[in-house]
Amino acid sequence: MTNLEKYDKLFFDAFKVKAVELPSLKYQGIALWDSLGHMDLIGAMEETFKISISTIDVLDFSSYEKGKEILAKYGVEL
Amino acid sequence: MLRLERWTDPLTESNCYLLGEGGYGAVIDPNDPKGPLERLEELGWEVEWILLTHEHCDHMAGLEALRRRWPGAQVVCSAACNEGIQSRRQNMSLMMEVYLSFRGKPGVSYAPFVCRPAEVAYDLRWETVWRGHRLTAQALPGHTPGSACIGLDGERVFTGDYLIPGEEVILRLPGGDEGDYRRSARPFLAGLPLGMAICPGHGAPYTLTEKERSEHGL
Repeated sequence: MTNLEKYDKLFFDAFKVKAVELPSLKYQGIALWDSLGHMDLIGAMEETFKISISTIDVLDFSSYEKGKEILAKYGVEL
Repeated sequence: MLRLERWTDPLTESNCYLLGEGGYGAVIDPNDPKGPLERLEELGWEVEWILLTHEHCDHMAGLEALRRRWPGAQVVCSAACNEGIQSRRQNMSLMMEVYLSFRGKPGVSYAPFVCRPAEVAYDLRWETVWRGHRLTAQALPGHTPGSACIGLDGERVFTGDYLIPGEEVILRLPGGDEGDYRRSARPFLAGLPLGMAICPGHGAPYTLTEKERSEHGL
């Protein structure tokens, strides 16, 4: 599984969304991506990619696309 | 005669309960390194037991401070809670700054931490008689894998993050599981008799009535 596939799967598992919805997916854009869902997503992301995301970056992780930029800072190329 | 006090952490708004009998103390959820310790020093109680309702840091951030002060105290929690307190991820201290931001307290510095293993880690249930009082603990996963309720003399129950006044139980934090809640915690909570004194992990204690049962879907 590629990093991008792993990244997408995290969203599929956490928010029960389809692939076509991912590019426009934003924090609080759907019911399940609320503050609790966000912490669950980030926790799973840290485990999957073996990284620790700073508080500032967790709070800045505002969308599916923005998350790609943030992961790149931690050396995760998607 | 048993004395019961509640100390609420202003940062996380979690409750620590202090039980005193004859100069000896038992502590449920030592939520802060300073507050409960300072109050226990004022009271002059020697702490013998420290019990945890679950592994989240806002319920045990003061655990190691109490252990340093009273090295003979026995820490009791469920086996899953025992694992959780030793993990910065499972005890949520790694995510606490984010959690506090979402709760309207941005910019707080909260250092991740772990605790040493508990002296007593039970799988399903634990009980003892302490200074003439019956203390029980029942593992009830759902909110977290290590969640439990602690009973006192069959008339009072410390519910941790279950039965919080005005709030639905949170099952979506990392480690939370709705299936576990429905299988174990919910039936236990639904079976609590009316009139039971409820000491929640957040908010004020209250007496269980049909109103609370209904509000919590029990």
